[in-house]
Amino acid sequence: MNTTETLPDMNIYRENARRWLAEHMDQRPSSDASAESGLATEEFLKKKIATARALQRKLFDGGYSGITWAKEYGGQGLPLEYDVAFLEAAEHYVMPDFDTFNSTTFDVCVPVMLEHSSPEFLRSFIPKVLAGELLVCQFFSEPSAGSDLAGVRTRATRDGDQWVINGQKIWSTLAQFADWGMCLTRTNWDVPKHRGLTWFAVPCDSAGLTIRPIRQITGSPHFCEDFFDDVAVPDGYRIGEVNNGWTVTQSMLVRERGAARSADTMSPTGPGDLVPDLVAAARKAGQLADPVVRQKLARAHTNDYVSRALGFRIAQMTAQGDLNTGVAAYGKLFKGVYTPIRARIGVEIAGAGAMTWDPATPGADATALAYLNGRLISIAGGTNEMQRNGIGERVLGLPREPSFDTSKPFNEVLLDSAHWNGKD
Amino acid sequence: MDLERTNDQELLRDTAVKFIKETGDPVTVRALSTTTTGMPEKYLQRTADLGWYAMLVPEAFGGGSVSGEGLRDLAIVAEERGRALQPGPFVPMNVVATALARRGTDAQRDEVLASIVAGETLATWAVVGTSGVWEPGAVRATATEGGFLLSGTCGAVQDAVCAEWLLVTAGTPVWPARVSASTAGMSGGPTQFLVPASATGVEATALEGLDLTQRFGTVSFRDVFVPPSSVVGEVGGAAEDVEHQLQIALVLSVSEAIGAMDALFEMTRTYSIDRIAFGRPIGSFQGVKYQLADMSLAVQAGMAIATAATRAVQAGQPDAGEVASMAKAWVGDAAIDIAQGCFQVFGGIGFTWEHDSHLYLRRLTMGSVLFGSPDWHRERICQLHDIEVRS
Repeated sequence: MNTTETLPDMNIYRENARRWLAEHMDQRPSSDASAESGLATEEFLKKKIATARALQRKLFDGGYSGITWAKEYGGQGLPLEYDVAFLEAAEHYVMPDFDTFNSTTFDVCVPVMLEHSSPEFLRSFIPKVLAGELLVCQFFSEPSAGSDLAGVRTRATRDGDQWVINGQKIWSTLAQFADWGMCLTRTNWDVPKHRGLTWFAVPCDSAGLTIRPIRQITGSPHFCEDFFDDVAVPDGYRIGEVNNGWTVTQSMLVRERGAARSADTMSPTGPGDLVPDLVAAARKAGQLADPVVRQKLARAHTNDYVSRALGFRIAQMTAQGDLNTGVAAYGKLFKGVYTPIRARIGVEIAGAGAMTWDPATPGADATALAYLNGRLISIAGGTNEMQRNGIGERVLGLPREPSFDTSKPFNEVLLDSAHWNGKD
Repeated sequence: MDLERTNDQELLRDTAVKFIKETGDPVTVRALSTTTTGMPEKYLQRTADLGWYAMLVPEAFGGGSVSGEGLRDLAIVAEERGRALQPGPFVPMNVVATALARRGTDAQRDEVLASIVAGETLATWAVVGTSGVWEPGAVRATATEGGFLLSGTCGAVQDAVCAEWLLVTAGTPVWPARVSASTAGMSGGPTQFLVPASATGVEATALEGLDLTQRFGTVSFRDVFVPPSSVVGEVGGAAEDVEHQLQIALVLSVSEAIGAMDALFEMTRTYSIDRIAFGRPIGSFQGVKYQLADMSLAVQAGMAIATAATRAVQAGQPDAGEVASMAKAWVGDAAIDIAQGCFQVFGGIGFTWEHDSHLYLRRLTMGSVLFGSPDWHRERICQLHDIEVRS
């Protein structure tokens, strides 16, 4: 930001924002009737994302997209308080909701690109992101590299001023709707695993890239598997230095864990209504007066509020300069542990009657779906066990487990692991 | 602890830590466990010099706090107290102080509140019955000629035998038919009385207990006559006062628990790095590391909810009672989980009398059930939301 430039007067900015919103955006319905219930089908997701893109375009044209992002990349180059002021003014309006892309594109991938991609690339890329034209998914995990992300085997080989990518990615959330993906590859197999990695931005319509939705346990196609067969990308799409991909990964992981914080955990508001979904389930089952059920209701309600209080505490720690993946892991682990517990409480309270439903009744399957979905957060974006490692080693200073793969060339690791005997 | 602290609050904490270091090492705590008072010499006066009983009292009555938000300041002290398992009636003294500051008569403030602030007298709270279940009103007040008669027995009274003053939370006064209508204006709620422990018919009995670092006893009232001047607040109208006192007690007791949990956890973490087995520090094994990570999460989450409760009660938020109950329920469970988890890391040494681990286990367990168990608070949360009890 150019500091010699005078900033707009805050009151005028706020007033203009209010006027613009009233003219261009729709008010949110007062009751949350739009709340999602039931299964998110391919069709539903497609429509949701298309709607969000159109709204994002409106924001962009109005000058309210990327309020804090650099002007040279199509942003407004304003300090954070202007962003906050706009969000406050927009509180009762329908804003773009890109589903999981809210975090993958806007909180994780694009901020990492801003940090590590070349300015030439960003100058053409970022304005399109801000306009809602480009959504970025994550080509991170592989069938044999999830928790051990540095063990990826997707290969990128240099060919003149381009790179050729071969391999397979998996668990790429909403990749079937993405325009680009951020892809982790191995570019050197003769060095230890953390030292031979390189990141690329890859257009999803590249020749040789096949993206196939995977059906989750809920039946919903929220993530994909992706096959790379001789996918060629120019060197200009590279994110960060060749073979320095682990540094990029570290800054990505911090953001990914941080992104688990939703906006409502950032301020210490009150606990609100007693778990309305579970109270409704208990009432329906005629169990609201049962002392055991009441214990469960209060337990779920308390855990929900502790989770928010913890999110606020982590935000405070981060604001005080403790940007440590281990600290971010506390919030992720809490959700990973307590979300399945909450889902189970739902089943225990609602009982057998809620495990079967009339398909004609909207939302009748909510408890069962929440039960299935409840275990997502304990795996996705880093398992509970990986969070425990992070806390144990990065915050508590506990020594690491002995490692058998970090100091020898990755190609040897692959060969030796087939007959590993625990000695070397 | 609250991550947002002023310089003055840091100083307050440093001063408390310094004092506690001098008086509260484990050797001293153990030596005190066999004494009658359970406190070092002149403990009340010395802690009063640090302002420990003044922070909920307005300056006009001789109190004051460093930040102007007395409960937040006090919570900082409470956490440090818990860390070192400090003895003494810290919670009940502050409860009585806040009650007298808010509702006391001029005479009660002059005679008793000033002495509490100065640490010259020991005042405690007699509120629940001998079962210890949080149900104020174990003592019954009956109107009589020229005053009231108190009868009943209170349990879980901290420092019962050393106390000179008792704040008695009595059940709805009973009005015998023969008492005249001059008692009009009585509603159906509790009444609080400030009673000298020396009053005829008051008998305090010391009890032994699980917690070796604090003293508890019973106080029985056998037709104890008290004049109307001993009433604190309104006859039959103390429900709101009792709720406020409970919230203060919850915040302070939870803050003490947080300090104790953090200290016990830190002791365990250090041990897991120092202790070698199978040729490695045991904390390097994932089986141990994961337990420590889970306990550390419980400490952090406990601090988060304790801070939320402290701020809510300090600000007098409408949902303060609920947030305080959430903190008590959550931390009460987490405290016992941590005590068990740490025990598991220490192994056999943690089951010995010499090891400090059991001192924490004892204190944390007592704290978990005092002022309402986690289950009790969860039921209260439902009731605060008007979730119907009837079937």
